[in-house]
Amino acid sequence: MMMDWTARNLWLIPVLPLLAAGLSALARRRHRRFSAGLAIGSMAVALLLACAAFATAVRHSGTELSRQVVNFRWFELGDGWVRLGWVLDPLTAMMLVMVCLVGLLIFIYSVGYMAHDENFGRFFCFLSLFASAMLGLVIANSLLLFFICWEVVGLTSYLLIGFWYHKPSAAAAAKKAFITTRIGDLAFLIGIVWLYGQAGTLLFYDAGQGCLDKPALAGLATQITSLGVVVPTAIALLIFCGAVGKSGQLPLHVWLPDAMEGPTPVSALIHAATMVAAGVFLVARVYPLMALTPAGSHSGAAALVVIAWVGALTAVFAASIAVAQTDIKRILAYSTVSQLGFMMLGLGVGGVAVGMFHLITHAFFKALLFMGAGSVIHGCHEEQDVRRMGGLRKFMPVTFATYAIGMMALSGVPIFFSGFWSKDEILHAAHAWSMSRWPFYLGVLGALMTAFYMTRQMCFVFFGKCRLALRQTPASEQGSVALPGIPAPEHPQVEHPAEPHESPALMTMPLAVLAFFTVTLGFLGTPAWPWVQSFLEGEHTALNVAGLWRPGVLLVMLISTVVAFTGIGLGYWLYGRDPLDLQQTDVLERRWPNLFTLLRRKYYVDEIYEWTFVGLNAWWATACDWLDRWVWEGAVELIAALVVGIGWVDRVLDEQVVNRWFDETCRSLSTSGGLLSRFQDGRVQKYLRVLGLALVVLVLLLIWGCRAS
Amino acid sequence: MTPLNGYLLISALLFAIGLAGAVTRRNAIVVLIGIELMLNAANLNFIAFWRFGPQPEAQTGVIFVLFSIGIAAAEAAVGLALIISIYRHYKTTDLDRIDSMKG
Amino acid sequence: MGYEREAGGRGMSYLELLNLAAPEAIIALAALAVLAADMFALRELELHFRLAISAMISCVGCVAAIGWMLALPEHGNVMGGIFIVDPLGQLVKIGLLVLTLFTILISLESNFTVHAGEYFALVLLATAGMMFLVSTADVLMIFISLELTSLSLYMLTAFDKRDVQSAEAALKYFLFGSMSAAFTLFGLSLLYGLSGSTSLEQIAASIRGPRLDPLLVLALVMTVIGLGFKVAAAPFHLWAPDVYQGAPAPSAAFIASGSKVAGFFVLARVMATGFKGAEGSGAWHGYLPGWVPLLAVLAGLSMVVGNFAALVQTSVRRLLAYSAIAHAGYMLIGVLAYGGSGLASLLYYSLTYGLTTLGAFGVVAVVQQQTGGDRLSDFAGLSRRSPGLAICMMIFILSLAGIPPLAGFVGKFYMFSEVLRPGSPGMGLLWLVVLAIALSAVSLYYYLQVLKQIFVAPSPGAGTWVSVAPVTQQVVLGALALAVLLLGCFPGWLVQRLAGAMAPG
Repeated sequence: MMMDWTARNLWLIPVLPLLAAGLSALARRRHRRFSAGLAIGSMAVALLLACAAFATAVRHSGTELSRQVVNFRWFELGDGWVRLGWVLDPLTAMMLVMVCLVGLLIFIYSVGYMAHDENFGRFFCFLSLFASAMLGLVIANSLLLFFICWEVVGLTSYLLIGFWYHKPSAAAAAKKAFITTRIGDLAFLIGIVWLYGQAGTLLFYDAGQGCLDKPALAGLATQITSLGVVVPTAIALLIFCGAVGKSGQLPLHVWLPDAMEGPTPVSALIHAATMVAAGVFLVARVYPLMALTPAGSHSGAAALVVIAWVGALTAVFAASIAVAQTDIKRILAYSTVSQLGFMMLGLGVGGVAVGMFHLITHAFFKALLFMGAGSVIHGCHEEQDVRRMGGLRKFMPVTFATYAIGMMALSGVPIFFSGFWSKDEILHAAHAWSMSRWPFYLGVLGALMTAFYMTRQMCFVFFGKCRLALRQTPASEQGSVALPGIPAPEHPQVEHPAEPHESPALMTMPLAVLAFFTVTLGFLGTPAWPWVQSFLEGEHTALNVAGLWRPGVLLVMLISTVVAFTGIGLGYWLYGRDPLDLQQTDVLERRWPNLFTLLRRKYYVDEIYEWTFVGLNAWWATACDWLDRWVWEGAVELIAALVVGIGWVDRVLDEQVVNRWFDETCRSLSTSGGLLSRFQDGRVQKYLRVLGLALVVLVLLLIWGCRAS
Repeated sequence: MTPLNGYLLISALLFAIGLAGAVTRRNAIVVLIGIELMLNAANLNFIAFWRFGPQPEAQTGVIFVLFSIGIAAAEAAVGLALIISIYRHYKTTDLDRIDSMKG
Repeated sequence: MGYEREAGGRGMSYLELLNLAAPEAIIALAALAVLAADMFALRELELHFRLAISAMISCVGCVAAIGWMLALPEHGNVMGGIFIVDPLGQLVKIGLLVLTLFTILISLESNFTVHAGEYFALVLLATAGMMFLVSTADVLMIFISLELTSLSLYMLTAFDKRDVQSAEAALKYFLFGSMSAAFTLFGLSLLYGLSGSTSLEQIAASIRGPRLDPLLVLALVMTVIGLGFKVAAAPFHLWAPDVYQGAPAPSAAFIASGSKVAGFFVLARVMATGFKGAEGSGAWHGYLPGWVPLLAVLAGLSMVVGNFAALVQTSVRRLLAYSAIAHAGYMLIGVLAYGGSGLASLLYYSLTYGLTTLGAFGVVAVVQQQTGGDRLSDFAGLSRRSPGLAICMMIFILSLAGIPPLAGFVGKFYMFSEVLRPGSPGMGLLWLVVLAIALSAVSLYYYLQVLKQIFVAPSPGAGTWVSVAPVTQQVVLGALALAVLLLGCFPGWLVQRLAGAMAPG
C-alpha cells in the first residue's frame, strides 16, 4: 500500500502551531507583530496542508486507501510497546480543514479584537498552543494520544478563559470549566484503561489489530460484565462521559455559559468551532465501538440510545434557557449547548455523517455569530446586555448582514442556509428512528425555540432604536453625582461618543468569509446531493434531485420549515414590533433632565422581565386588538407562555440546583479536608498514639481475616 | 513452659512498658527512654531466638544485637542533641507545649 | 558510622567486596573529604565560598560514583544477599545520586547555616545509607542502612538552628521515626525467630500455606510500619507535614525525593521477596489476609487523607507534604503490581516524582528567600516577578497533578495499567485504581490553587523586594523542569532501561 506524502507528513499540521507557540513564548512582550504573524502564518501553512490532505482523502474516497495510518512506537510497556500514530481518513480530513480554516479566521479577527490588550503576545501563544492540541486530537490514531491532546486542550482553554485574570469571575469560570470537564475525563480515563485491559491496544486502526478494527470489536462483543452490561457498552458509556463533559451536555453543561468570561475570539474558537466539538468528534471517532451490539442481540446499541436521549434533552433544555437570557454571549453559549445536543442526537439516531455534517456547518455559523457578537460588543464599548443595544443595523452594516446570515442558518431558514440542511438531516434521522418518536418531538421543539430566541436577540440588538445612550448618560454623570443602582462600566468610556461604530476591516473580513461558507456549505449535504455523507461513509454519490421528493424527506423538510418560520414569526411578534420599549427609549431621550423617573421605570421593566414576563405578555396582549384575531393571539400567547415558562423554570433549576450542587460538593470536600487536617494538631505524642493504634487495628484486621477464611 | 516462651513474655512486657511510657509521659527525655526500652525488648527477642533456636552455632542473632545496640546509642545521641536544641528555643521539654506547627 | 568496616569485616574476599561496594565507598570518602576540607582549610573563607567548595567536592563524589557504575557494571552477591549488586539496583543508585546532585545544587544559595561542611557531609551520608538500602536483601543490612539514612535526615531537618520550627520538626521526626524503628526491630526479631535467618529468601521459605501465623502477622505489620514511615504512607504519615514545613527547604526536598525512592524500592523488595507466599488478596469480594490487602488499605487511606487534607492548606510546603502523602498512596498501588514489569513502573513513577518534587521544593526555597514565607499568598504574582520560575513551577505542579504529556501522567498511566494487567496479583484492585483516579481529580483543585496564585493573583506591593532569583538556582530548576517534560514526552528512554535491568541475566 503506497502512502501519500500528505498522509506520511500529517504530523506537520499540529506541530506548526506548536512551534509558533513555543517561539512566541520566547518573544518579548513588545514584539506584538512577531507573535501574531507567527501564529497566523503557521495556521495558514497548516491550512494549506490540511487542504492537501483533504484532496488526498477525496481522491482516494471509496478505495482501500481512504484510510491511511501511520503508527510508531512510543515506549515499551511490559512485554509490548505503547504505540501512537495518526490517521488520515475522511473524518480527519474534514475536521482538519474546518479547524484550520475557522482557526485561521479567528486568529486574524483576534488581531483586531485584542489590539489594545497589553498581553497580546501571550494571547497568541495560548491560541497557537490550543490550535496545535486540537489538531493533534483530530489526527490522533490512538486513544492515548487523543486523551493527551484532549487534556492539553482543556488546559489551554483554562488559560484562555482565565485570560483576563483581573476579573475574578473570569478566574472562577476558568477553574469551573477545567474541573467540570475533568469530572467527565475521569470516567473517560477509566474507560481508556479498561479498554486497554480488554483489547490490549489503544490504536484505533492498525492493519486489523486496532481496537476499532473488526476482530477486536468482535472479541469485545462477547464479554459481559458482572452487572449484565456488555463490556463494550460499558466502555463506550464511560468514554461518552468524557464527551459529555467536553461538549457541555446535560448535566455537565454548567461550565460553558460561565466560560463566556474569556475574550470573545476565545469563545468563538473554544465554544463554537473546536473544543466543545471535540466531544462530538470523539463519539464519531469511536463510533464503531459505540454502535457495537452484543453478540446475539437484536436490539440496537445501548450506548447510542443513551447518546440520543442525552442529546435530545440537552437540545431542548439549553434552548429553553437561552430564551430567558439577556447577555449577548450567554444566549449564544446556551445556543451552543443546545446545538451540541442536536449533534449528539444526530450521532445517536443517524450515525457519523449526520452528526458530523451538523458539526461542520455549526462550526462555521456559530463562529460567525460569536465573532459578530464580539464585533457588536467592541462597537458598543464593551456592552454585553442586549437590552441596552438596539438599532445597530444602521451603525454596523457589515456586522448586521453577516450576523443575520448566521442567525438564519442557526434558525434553519430553508434552502439557502447550511443550518437548515444539517438540522433537517438530524430531524429526518430522528423521525426514522425505530426506538422512540420522542427524540424527534424534542428536536422539533428545540428547533422552534432556537428560531425564537435568535429572532429575539436580533430584534434586541439590531432593530428598534439605539438604547445604548441609556447607559452612557448616567455613566457620564457619575463623575459628579454618584448614582447607585447602575452597574459601572468596566472601562469608563466617558470620553467616547455614545454612538456605536463599525469594527475595523480586520474584524469584518473574517465575518464575510465565514458568512460565505455558512451559505455554501449546506449545498454539499442536501438530500439531493448528499456529498458529505457519502464522503464520510466512503461511497460515491451523484446528483439526484428526486431525493428531495421522497415522502419522509419532504415531510420533515416541511415540518422544519414551518417550525423555523413559526419561531421567527413568534419572535418578531413579541420583540420586533416592541412599541413599548421603543416609546420608552424615545421618552428617555426627550425627557433628559428627568433622569430619576426614567431610571426607575427602566428598573421596573427589568424586574418584570426577570420575574413576571408571562404577566407582561398577557397585559400587552390584552392591550392589543385581540378580538380581531383571537385565534392567532391565543396560540401565540399559549406558546409564548409555555416557552418562557419552561425557560424560566429551567434557569432557576440550573442556577439553584445544578450550580448549587456543584458548589456544595466543593464546599463539603473542603470541610472534610479541614476535619482531616485538624486531626494533625501538632502534638507529637498524639502521632505516636496513632502509630500504636494503627498497629493494633491492622493486626486485628489481618487476624480477623485469618479466622474468617 | 519452655525457657523461650518465658523470655518472649518478658520481652513483650518490656516492649509494652516502653510503648506505654512513650505515649503517656510528656517529658521528651522520658519518651526517649521508653523508645530505648522498646529497642531493648527487640534485642532480648533476638538473643532468646538465637539461644533457643534451631542453629545456635550461627552467630546471626548476636551480631544483630551488637549492631542494634550501637544504633540505639547513636539514636540516643542524636535524640538528646535535638532535645537540647528544642530546649534552647522553648525552655521546656514538655511535648504538649511544642505544637507550633499544625493543620 | 563504620558501615564499610562492617561490610568488609564479614566478606570473604575484601578486594572483591571493595570492588562491589566502590560507589558507596566513594560517597563515604567524599563525605569525609568535605568534612576535612571544611575543618582544616575553609574556616577562614567567606560562607559563600565554603558552600561552593564543599558542594563542588560533594558533586565530584557523586559524579565519580555514577561514572564508576556506568563504566564498570558489576554483578555480585555477597554472603547470601547481605550485599547485592545487580543492574536494577545500580540504576536506582544512579537515580538516587542524580537526586542528591540536584539537592546539593539547590542548597548552593542557602543561607540557613554556617556549617557548610557538616551539611553536605550529612547529605552524602544519607545518600550512602540509601544506596546500601537498595543493594541488600538482608534484614540486618536493611535495618542498619535505614537507621543511617534516618539519623542523617533527622539532623538535616534540625539544621537551621535559628529557627524554632526546624528544631520542632526535627524532634517530631525523630520521635516518630525512632518509635517506628523500634516497631520494625521488634518485627524483624520475630521474623528472625520464625525463620532462624535474616535473609529475605530464607524468611520467605519459612512461610507455609495460605493460613498466616498470628506471629507472622504481627511481624508483617511491624515491618510495614517502619517502611511506611519512610515513605510517609498514612497512617504513618503524621510527621511529614510538620517536617516538610519546618525543615530547611533543601532538606525537605531531599526527604521528599531521595528517601522516598529508596523507601519504595526496599518496601517492594521486602514484600515481594521476604513475604513471598503471604500475599493474600485485596479483591473487592475476595479478601484474604496478607500484605497485598494491608498495603491496599494503606494506599487507599493515604490517597484519601493526603488529597483531602491538602485542600485546606495555606502553606505551600504543607500542601506539598499532603500531596506527597497522596502520591505515596499511588505508589503503594505500584508496589502491589510487583510481578513482572510492575516494579519498573513503580521505579519510573518514584524517580520522576522525586525529580518533580525536588523541583517544586526548589521553587519554594527561592520564593521563601524572596518573600520570607511559603504561604500561598507569597506566590502571588510570581509569573511577573520571575517568569522562568513560574513556568518551571507550572511544569512541576501539572506533572504532580498528572496532566499529559508530563512525566506524572505517563507514570500514573503506566503503573495503573500494570496493576490491571491480566495475571497481575493486583487484578482485583480495580476499586483502588478507580479511587486513585477519582481522587486525582480532587487533587487538581489544590494544585490549581497554587497555579492561580502564581499566574492570576496580582502581585502584592511589586518591587518591594529583590526579585531576581540566583542564576544557579534558575538553571538547576530549569534543568529539572526540562527533565520532567522530556521524561514525559519520551518515557521510553528510562522505561527501557528499567525493563532491561529487570530482565534476568
